[in-house]
Amino acid sequence: MQMTNGEKYILRVRNLGVKFKVRDRELTAIRNVSMDFERDKVVAIVGESGSGKSVFTKTFTGMLDNNGHISQGEIWFDGEDLAQFKSDRNWLKIRGKKIATVFQDPLTSLNPVRTIGFQISEVIMKHQGKSRAEAKRMAIELMTRVGLTDAENRYNEYPFQYSGGMRQRIVIAIALACRPEILICDEPTTALDVTTQAQIIELIKDLAKEYGFTTIYITHDLGVVANVADIVAVMYAGQIVERGTVEEVFYDPRHPYTWGLLSSLPQLGDASQELFAIPGTPPSLFHKVVGDAFAPRSEFALGIDFEEEPPMFKITDTHYAKTWLLDSRAPKFEKPELIRDLHEKMLALTSKGGVYGSND
Amino acid sequence: MGRYIWIRLLKSLLSIAIVVSIVVVLVYKLVPTSKVFEGDEAFRKLKANAKVLYTYNRLETLGYCDYLTSGEMLAAELGEKAHSLKPSDEEYQRVLQVFRDRGYTIEELTYNDKLQGTHVAYRFYNSFELIGHFFAKLFQVDTPNAIQDPNWPEGLQRGYRFEKDHNGIYALTCAGCKHKYQLYFDKHFPFIHQNFIHIYFGESYPSQQGVNTLEVIGSSQGKKVKIEQTFPSGQVLKSPINQHSRKYKFTRDHLDEKKYGDDPYADTTNMQEAPSMIFTSYRIGLLSILFAYLFAIPMGIWMAKRKGKLIDKIGIIYINFILALPSLALIFFFKVIGYRFNLPDKFPQLGFHDIRSYILPVMLLAIMSTPGLMMWLRRYMVDQETSDYVKFARAKGLSNREIYNRHIFKNAVIPIVNGIPGSIILAISGAVITESMFAVPGMGKMLPDAIKAANNNMVITLSFIFTALSILSVFLGDLLMTVVDPRISLTVKEGLE
Repeated sequence: MQMTNGEKYILRVRNLGVKFKVRDRELTAIRNVSMDFERDKVVAIVGESGSGKSVFTKTFTGMLDNNGHISQGEIWFDGEDLAQFKSDRNWLKIRGKKIATVFQDPLTSLNPVRTIGFQISEVIMKHQGKSRAEAKRMAIELMTRVGLTDAENRYNEYPFQYSGGMRQRIVIAIALACRPEILICDEPTTALDVTTQAQIIELIKDLAKEYGFTTIYITHDLGVVANVADIVAVMYAGQIVERGTVEEVFYDPRHPYTWGLLSSLPQLGDASQELFAIPGTPPSLFHKVVGDAFAPRSEFALGIDFEEEPPMFKITDTHYAKTWLLDSRAPKFEKPELIRDLHEKMLALTSKGGVYGSND
Repeated sequence: MGRYIWIRLLKSLLSIAIVVSIVVVLVYKLVPTSKVFEGDEAFRKLKANAKVLYTYNRLETLGYCDYLTSGEMLAAELGEKAHSLKPSDEEYQRVLQVFRDRGYTIEELTYNDKLQGTHVAYRFYNSFELIGHFFAKLFQVDTPNAIQDPNWPEGLQRGYRFEKDHNGIYALTCAGCKHKYQLYFDKHFPFIHQNFIHIYFGESYPSQQGVNTLEVIGSSQGKKVKIEQTFPSGQVLKSPINQHSRKYKFTRDHLDEKKYGDDPYADTTNMQEAPSMIFTSYRIGLLSILFAYLFAIPMGIWMAKRKGKLIDKIGIIYINFILALPSLALIFFFKVIGYRFNLPDKFPQLGFHDIRSYILPVMLLAIMSTPGLMMWLRRYMVDQETSDYVKFARAKGLSNREIYNRHIFKNAVIPIVNGIPGSIILAISGAVITESMFAVPGMGKMLPDAIKAANNNMVITLSFIFTALSILSVFLGDLLMTVVDPRISLTVKEGLE
């Protein structure tokens, strides 16, 4: 499964499994996930907390916590199987250089006692082998590019002198300093206020075009997803349960979990009734999951859901879902009333100042 | 920043004044006066009325009370003519009454000798007077009018002169001041010395009687050092006299005249070979701190980097071992080892000029301060490892070493940096146990000894020094923090929020 740069897919994941040792027990965080990432596309991975979306992307940069390991599968990138990497030395040529990550909290992502300039320049010097002076020039250029005015003077300032939004711009500048091929954004806007969120998302979008990198978003903010993503993957209990283009997932969702997730959008609720919430909690990943992991919480669960794991059913060339409802023998259900005509509903919301569709 | 430092300095001075005031009151009010005389030989030999007079006289010089003999009382009230009055006279009784009314206690001398029947008056100072007196004499300024002597040599003009003296060294000298040399240079730290202003805490008593307490801890010790030098009279002698120490001498003998001619500045101290107590302690303390940091910081980093691995475990065993072992046991253990390497087990065996004298005390003090440093540095570094910026630094593609050296270390030492000035400055105060075990002539034993001997002025002096140094270390520690941690700035916020 060797790949070259010219191919359609930049990253291919096959049958990936990740396990964590927690005290004397073993937790399976990623259960046999396969997914291909198309070059230059924006992929959003959504799911609730603990669904494994962060862990999934951490395997691409070898950033799993010490107690976790890849138990099975392959991750093909640039002709190499990243799943085989054992030491940090292997990772040093990938991490930061080819696959960069922007984390959730810009307030703590920067070293508080080093200047902004130092933290950008050190990456440029390390990965591109530039001199200090040249790295500084490039860093100031980058700072200006991500939207800082007066970058020259702010080069020697410290993170505490920057606002949250500006810090996230710096984090992005650092991530892009090495011209990575893939940028993983792990909930990049969660810690920011709404107006800043929109600016940051816009910035990443623009930069992706300019620098030509593939973006992987991890988020539980479906507004962001609708705004930026080309492809959406929905994760539940360590598996991708549905994936497709953003239109397919939003307007023709097939998995009951996706239905639940979309129904939970607070923007869809109206003042007269309570907001929708998916009942129950995700299954414990310490035990082996039998059947469909979402079945105990699903009102559409079939008998087979409790016995056998559903396969990935193909709906279109780009749209797949992992639910027995798609089997030809299954009874037909309509998706919940709340998320029918979702497109119209969400467009109507933008007039109230939401993020969705603001760039359409 | 400047303003902050000034305010902070003022606050520091105020704190020192408060602490010292409390110590002064405690020492003068709570230490029984009988204890003061326990170590005084002269007191033990005296008997009867003479002993009573000596007691009050001594208490007055020590600053406990105001004391007058009957003669002094009469002279104060009635002038010169009053000496002939007898206790039976009405006038005499009236004078006693005057002093009684002023709050003095009148005591009749009852022992059967020629003083029998006369009276003395004394009044112990209250706390505020004690504090007032202490601060009033704290700073002693030397001026050209300081010496008032009827035998002042004719033709000697009062005033300052900058001159090259007979030994060929430039100095600012003064006629009329207590000290001849007001500003002079020599080869001893800090190389430039002044006599314009002195801090005076009183005299040591009962040990080292009559010597200024600061001189006790600050002047050299041991054998006299004789060097060949020229005296003002032109005489060349091999002598231990330190001519820079010359003070005005009121009554001079022919030996003085031989050396100094008609120059009245003939009161001198000798040069001695061993460094002062304070310097001995400081040398040992500073060296031990240097070694402690040199060992503990790399070890702490190493342990943090290899958390849970062999070196970390060895380090933890070491830390626990040193912490758990009583320092006395450690000292004996080291003495036994030192014996095998022919190291002296007492400092004076080889003396201050032999490096071997220092090895054991320095090593012990260094080792005893390593566990804390190692433990905290390791802990701070391990704490930092889980922080987000480290995660991001890793995602940036930095290697483990780069992350430790460039990012984690700087954050982890911030809390440690705060304590560095303290450990350096407070090394001056010496180490009680180690110094006594090795019989080091240093500061360590001074405070306990002074307290035991009821050497009040020494207790106050040491309290003042230790307080001032502690406050200074905290202050410098905070200043140093602003250097390593950009988030801290020393500006006074005005009316914000």
